[in-house]
Amino acid sequence: MSGPGRSARLVELVGSTRLDEVFRRKVRQRRWGVTLVTLGVAAIGFWLFSDILGSTGWSPIKVLELAVFSVLFTTLSFGFTQAFVGFLVLAEGHEPLKITNTLDEKTPLASTAVVMPVFNEDVGTVFGNIRTLYRSLQNRGELEMFEFYILSDSTMPERLVEEEVAWADLCRQTNGFGRIHYRRRKVPVNRKSGNIADFCRRWGHRHRYMVVFDADSVMTGDSVASLVRLMEVNPRAGIIQTMPKLVGSETLFGRIQQFASRLYSPLFAAGLNYWQQGAGNYWGHNAIIRMSPFLASCSLPVLPGREPLGGRILSHDFVEAALMRDAGWEVWFAYDLEGSYEGLPPNLTEYIKRDRRWAQGNLQHVWFLLADRVQPISRLHLIQGILAYSSAPILVLFIFLGGIQAAIDHFRGHASSIPLASAIVLALLTLLLLFGPKGLSLLHLFSQPDLLRRFGGAKRALAGVVMETLFSILTAPLLVWFHTRFVLKNISGQKVVWNTQTRGAGAGPGWVQTLLEYWPVPVAGVFFGILAWWISPLYLLWITPLLLGLWLAIPIAQLSGRSAVLRKLFLTPEEIDPPRELSKSEPLQLRAGDQFVHAILDPFYNAIHVALQRRRARTPELSEHTAGLADKLFREGPAALTAEEKRALLSDGPALAKLHMLVWKTPAEKMNPFWVEALRAYRNEMPIPVGN
Amino acid sequence: MAISPEYLGLLRSSISSAPEWKEAWERTNDYLDALRIPADLERELMLLTSFEQAIARKRKEPSTSATELAFDEAQKALDATLGNLISGKVPVDRRSVEERVRLYLIQPTQNSRLSPRSRLSDDVLEALREVRLEAHPRLQQAVIAPRPFALNTAGERLAALAGKFSFLGSNRILAWFLGLCFVGLLIYMSL
Repeated sequence: MSGPGRSARLVELVGSTRLDEVFRRKVRQRRWGVTLVTLGVAAIGFWLFSDILGSTGWSPIKVLELAVFSVLFTTLSFGFTQAFVGFLVLAEGHEPLKITNTLDEKTPLASTAVVMPVFNEDVGTVFGNIRTLYRSLQNRGELEMFEFYILSDSTMPERLVEEEVAWADLCRQTNGFGRIHYRRRKVPVNRKSGNIADFCRRWGHRHRYMVVFDADSVMTGDSVASLVRLMEVNPRAGIIQTMPKLVGSETLFGRIQQFASRLYSPLFAAGLNYWQQGAGNYWGHNAIIRMSPFLASCSLPVLPGREPLGGRILSHDFVEAALMRDAGWEVWFAYDLEGSYEGLPPNLTEYIKRDRRWAQGNLQHVWFLLADRVQPISRLHLIQGILAYSSAPILVLFIFLGGIQAAIDHFRGHASSIPLASAIVLALLTLLLLFGPKGLSLLHLFSQPDLLRRFGGAKRALAGVVMETLFSILTAPLLVWFHTRFVLKNISGQKVVWNTQTRGAGAGPGWVQTLLEYWPVPVAGVFFGILAWWISPLYLLWITPLLLGLWLAIPIAQLSGRSAVLRKLFLTPEEIDPPRELSKSEPLQLRAGDQFVHAILDPFYNAIHVALQRRRARTPELSEHTAGLADKLFREGPAALTAEEKRALLSDGPALAKLHMLVWKTPAEKMNPFWVEALRAYRNEMPIPVGN
Repeated sequence: MAISPEYLGLLRSSISSAPEWKEAWERTNDYLDALRIPADLERELMLLTSFEQAIARKRKEPSTSATELAFDEAQKALDATLGNLISGKVPVDRRSVEERVRLYLIQPTQNSRLSPRSRLSDDVLEALREVRLEAHPRLQQAVIAPRPFALNTAGERLAALAGKFSFLGSNRILAWFLGLCFVGLLIYMSL
């Protein structure tokens, strides 16, 4: 039966009691299929490697090596199988079992909150992205059912002033007062998940759904409205996750990631949906959540023990999906829904910093593998998340065991007696699993001339894949190095600091900074090289591709943040022809310079900030404290106050209003030179000097 | 009272000839610029009237700086001009803030033709008086209680086992020693 024919058959089944049964059987078949292919390929690898190892006799090291190899190879096999299945799905051109098939544009919308938790993020990006969606929904005439919440956990005084003014400016520009909301938590308990939980506690009953954004998420009105409609027609869906496309990168690293994701992800996404169906996962943003089950079932437990592996959960998304599934709701992946975008770290250093947070968060999920009431597929998602980082130390262990065994074999003269045929087949199979998805993605791209043109044409797409492959070969050992460090640090009890992610371009680290951060990597690479040479020159040759990345760590990290490199390669459809929603046409009317100083000098900044402070009786001690801070600020300038003192002062609206008047009406000779200079700069429309 | 152009000219020249008043003039003007009040005749008249009052006050309060006096008088003039934008119930110490909020709201934007100088209809004025800058809606609270974390049987056993070996984590030297012993044993057994 053809694709559309099968779909028609499914439509016929809708409403009949057989649909559920047919659906379940189909999903079961798919899952068995994927499992069998994965295990089949893994078994071939296992057999070939055991043939190689066993040729010179067995030893405890070899048994351990085979066990470690099995874990790594099965992971690899699973990834390949998913991509292969995805390729078949896309090649056929029709997938009857995907949630977007149920989309009906006539379905009425329901009350939905668009929530964006932020933590010291770039204000222009945050509010610009909200405005994009706002305008997009407005243009569709579907704004009525949506409200927008910017949920700030920001701690930098200047950032929270800027956020307030940006909120007011955005509301003024869009006439969005009463529809675009801004809330700042004074104490950011439990980070992002705590921020969302706080929103749920405050306004959980106000909306039927919430669409969760990251600070760099952009979604079109079309995609968000479609998500709401999908929720409405699928009453068992608790979460629907979209597949955000990476956009907006200017640096080499960002553009390579953007290109790779845009080209390879569709296969993996289609393959993922093929087997997971309604047992999908949640990635924390660009997704819609049904409020009632989320409130009832998805509040995060506190894990046994202390951080980093216990305590409060850092990576909440996978766990929330598991809790939603446990409560009997479905989690779907709308992988082909257009209009969902996100940004990414601009360079390797920022990417690694982000990984450090994610590594700790994912490692905490080990507890859920041993928890009661977690569905098997949810456990699989959690395992995948854990392996995303712990596979690095497993790989290091594999190389370490291989090194010891190579040394033993070398000194006992066994090196030349391995079965060459098995070794060659295993090497080819490994290469197939590693690079096969890239080839299949290219094949899929070449079968779509229109899309190929939007990737810059055949030559550029091909060259892009070659260069991206080389880059990933060089960066993979670096990531292994850092992931191993992160995992070992977490296991030994060291936790991560929650830093703001740098998202924009132009944040490339300098040579000195790169050198300070990366110097142990090439040093270790040289040491391993000497060790490998001592074991055997052949062994050194064997592991050179791994060591190359370590040796070149510093120039790679430095190059990754450059913008003007290989601009003609790594083109994506969104870069060549950006969607209307991604172009920033209405800049916010914010002053440049120190926003904390603006809160005192600028009459509008000051008024907005003061007006937004909660009017409540302050204790005499507190008022005295902030009055003292205001006095210190006036006499000594902003550099005299710590960030905490600035925050304390900002929380006292009347004191700030008085300070505003005081600065403006004090003659120059009676004022700290900082304020005189700040007023002069203000007059000349120049950026205000930075206070600290 | 009608003010003659000659009087205004005299007032301006005396302000610009005295350094103290010149600074006060510049500062007050800067403030009005910051409020984005158009520099037109109306503003000039308001300023001169404020300065006339300030100069008169200076005779009674010689220790108060000219800048402060001029600024206070200008603020009074602003209160009088913008007073119709705010409710009469606003406390005195809050009036300036509320006036500035409303002035901000009627600043022209890409999508709004309102401006401080545009003639506002009674409806708009009424709405402005009732405005209260609220960043978020009223609470509609919900209960979201975390469910307790429970291990399954295998998990409990594993956790108990891990607990027995937790001393390794608290003593790094011992952990390294035992780790190296294990590797050594592994190598020895594999020789």
